[in-house]
Amino acid sequence: MDLQRINVKFYLRDGEAISPEEAFRIFNSWIPTTADEILVDVADYSHIAEAQQALLVGHDANYCLDTTDGRKGLMYSRKRPVDGSIAERLRDAFATTLKTCARLERDAGGDGIRFRGEEALLIVNDRLNAPNDEETLAAIEPELDTVLRELFGGAETVVERNGDAKQLFSLQLRARREFDIDTLIENLS
Amino acid sequence: MTEATSWKETLGSRIPEDLGREIDIFETQIGLRQQDKLDEIIFAETRLRRGAYGQRYDNGQRFDGSRTQELNFPEGNTKGPNTAWHAPGMQRIKIPCGGLNCAQMDTLADLAEEYSDGICHITTRQDFQLHYVHIEDTVDLMRRLAAVGITTQEACGNAVRNVTACPLAGVCKTQSFDVTPYADALARFLLGHPDMQDFGRKFKIAFSGCRDEACGLTSMHDMGALAVLREGKRGFELYVGGGLGPVPHRAKLIEEFVPAEELLPLTQAIGRVFARLGEKKNRARARIKFLIAKLGIEEFKRLVTEERQLVTEDPLWATTLEGIESHSEEALRPGQALNGMNHLSEGFRRWQETNVYQQGQAGYAVATVNLPLGDITANQLRALADVCRRFVKDTVRTTVEQNFVLRWVSEADLPDLYNALEELDLAAPGAGTIVDITACPGTDTCKLGIASSRGLAGELRQQLSESFLELDQAVKGLRIKVSGCFNACGQHHVADIGFYGVSRKIGGITVPHFQVILGGRWQENAGSFGLAMVAIPSRNIPQVVTRLTERFVQDRNGNESFQDFIERTGKREFRSMLEDLAVVPAYEEDSSFYSDWGAAREFTTGDMGKGECAGEVVPLAHFELSACEREAFEAQMSLDEGEYELAYRTAFSAILHAAKAIVKTQLLDVPDDADTIVEEFRRRFFETELFFDAGTAKDKFARYLFRMHETVIDDYTQDLAHRAVEEAQLFIEAAYACYDRTTSVEAAPVVPLLPK
Repeated sequence: MDLQRINVKFYLRDGEAISPEEAFRIFNSWIPTTADEILVDVADYSHIAEAQQALLVGHDANYCLDTTDGRKGLMYSRKRPVDGSIAERLRDAFATTLKTCARLERDAGGDGIRFRGEEALLIVNDRLNAPNDEETLAAIEPELDTVLRELFGGAETVVERNGDAKQLFSLQLRARREFDIDTLIENLS
Repeated sequence: MTEATSWKETLGSRIPEDLGREIDIFETQIGLRQQDKLDEIIFAETRLRRGAYGQRYDNGQRFDGSRTQELNFPEGNTKGPNTAWHAPGMQRIKIPCGGLNCAQMDTLADLAEEYSDGICHITTRQDFQLHYVHIEDTVDLMRRLAAVGITTQEACGNAVRNVTACPLAGVCKTQSFDVTPYADALARFLLGHPDMQDFGRKFKIAFSGCRDEACGLTSMHDMGALAVLREGKRGFELYVGGGLGPVPHRAKLIEEFVPAEELLPLTQAIGRVFARLGEKKNRARARIKFLIAKLGIEEFKRLVTEERQLVTEDPLWATTLEGIESHSEEALRPGQALNGMNHLSEGFRRWQETNVYQQGQAGYAVATVNLPLGDITANQLRALADVCRRFVKDTVRTTVEQNFVLRWVSEADLPDLYNALEELDLAAPGAGTIVDITACPGTDTCKLGIASSRGLAGELRQQLSESFLELDQAVKGLRIKVSGCFNACGQHHVADIGFYGVSRKIGGITVPHFQVILGGRWQENAGSFGLAMVAIPSRNIPQVVTRLTERFVQDRNGNESFQDFIERTGKREFRSMLEDLAVVPAYEEDSSFYSDWGAAREFTTGDMGKGECAGEVVPLAHFELSACEREAFEAQMSLDEGEYELAYRTAFSAILHAAKAIVKTQLLDVPDDADTIVEEFRRRFFETELFFDAGTAKDKFARYLFRMHETVIDDYTQDLAHRAVEEAQLFIEAAYACYDRTTSVEAAPVVPLLPK
């Protein structure tokens, strides 16, 4: 299976801690200061309650303050193809998302923000290659298990697929104990 | 696990053969471009004809508030000058008459999610736009659209654009007949038609079912067809040569009654005349409105009549219209009146008051889904398709006010429909009111945008929504439309209160402004076009709306319309009422004036063109251009008073003085006679291209001066004077922009100081 267009989202512990306007300002400041990838634009969709409210558009991937599923978090959306095995691609997606979460935690003003490391959303944004069904889950499950064991340091995890066939293939991932972002980054390094 | 395949294989025969072939060709062209075997200019034309646009940041640079940085795209390929050709761009999707079925809505939602940013945007011409789409993804996107009967072919380029129609066509109470099948037939007939391929510019067509409503806005289109019945026979009152853009033209009547069966051949003949005689080299004068203005409507009509005789009989004329008179839409549920209002919620009542229109057919209603800034998420759109499946039978349309309408809703179902929409956050009331603001994309994504139309519209929407319930009924009914620049994609000319983006340099820093437009009329198919009154800094625009609306409530005579109130009060009074809002505080005093609405960075027009640096101020030029604006306003006053010759002469004087102000930046002692000013302007600012617009207008504005200087007028008509007033304002705006550029760009060519 050619697993591409992987999206990963980590949720904020306190959704009120950062506004779309603040995220928009921070994302804009990243455009000229990011050397390792091409970031091209920011888009403001804060006028819609459940959307990618503050969007940082890159050439290869987008990042956003996302409320699409009703909960605020940071979503990474890979757009261009990446090489490697399924596990490598998943690992890369988690690592990039976590790195971005950590950067947002550092750059957010006020009392700061914290992400819930123990829960993530994994989406494959590709209905052709990854329809939302059990077959897709079976195809990626073995390598996903490996990556999740690594990510959560062997902690027990629950993987739940969204069963709505019209939606993209998406999995809610939950570890049985709390994690912070730095620990997860360390686990993957 | 499904074996990976391609969308082409998966969709197979669901893609119509002709569309599939077209898309295959495009895929090959992308491949050739990737290998650098296809010239970028040819590729640009081919992608534009398929609706794939570059976006604003695409010019290879981005201003971040403090400096401009080059975006280091891989491979260094370009889409245009300094533009990464494969950078994510905008995909426009044509929806003839705005008509959609539920399967199409599902597909659009999927595409927005997979290839775009999860947002579907409805345009002011009933199209969809998806942003940040990679060029490599456009091919699959087009195939998936084709499989549900949608094409992007000719969504841009010098071609027939989306054919629009009144969203109430077929269900309204005042129509002559349903124009939908005729609009649809014409769209199909003209798509890819060989006679419609050699235009110098785009060609927009609209259909209306009735004369007095806003309906299809036929007066502002290249071709407008107004349904009329003559002795029971269907036909169209046909108009040509309308258009908004920098200088709006009202369409002229070419035929009082075109029998329905003659609509296709006559349009073909119009297209052939436009293709043969229309301007090709000068883009800025290539729309059909300029050809008609040049030839006069009578001569144009003669040429079309002559051409019609030459057009070879085409069997498609008849087959395309087969069975058209029996066209009808079906309701999903029996029509039933809404009775027993007592148990209905306050939220429902408010929604019903503004968002529900009782159809001509008893027991049925049209419900409007009022979208903020024309945006809907993929999830909302998919869920809306399911709601539609519950209540209507594929009878959904987009509107030019950037909303959806659901037609054929049984009135008894309205409360349930409201509840279903409320769950999707799609039950906002206020459709067609002052909070339902239309805006083009502006600086958010459009390369031509000067100020943030979406930012301003979003701010106004929020502020007005908060006070909506307290607003006077007369104010609630007003329409606001915002464009990011003079090109008028936000249709500001036909709003009660319109705005378009401009900029002014204050103390060496560029400040976003909007011109305030008053006097436009939405009704009567865009019955009149408003004129610019005064440029106000973007930050003060909400106060402009407050002052205008409060004054309207305070001084209104009975049921007086807003247009009549504006006319009675006089624009001079409004200008004086707003003048203090035109003042921009120093940066140190209030820096918020130097950022646009919804922008995280300080304002710039630098990412429209090349480079950005703060220039030195020459207060004299600013002062003189301000005086020219006042003169242009005087011209407008004369126009309003019916003094057409005086209006024309004053407008020309404003242009001449603006040219002089600009010449003065190079030649302080410029003499005062018109011939010398024009000659010096030509030598120093036209031949050097310093006055050329950085966007698509190029030399257009400079040519206003030359034309008016050279032309001897015998008959000072209202149209002529109106156009001169518009042109004066645009020339002054161009002079401001030129002044900014020439004081910013290092080593700008300067012609020697002495006059020739």
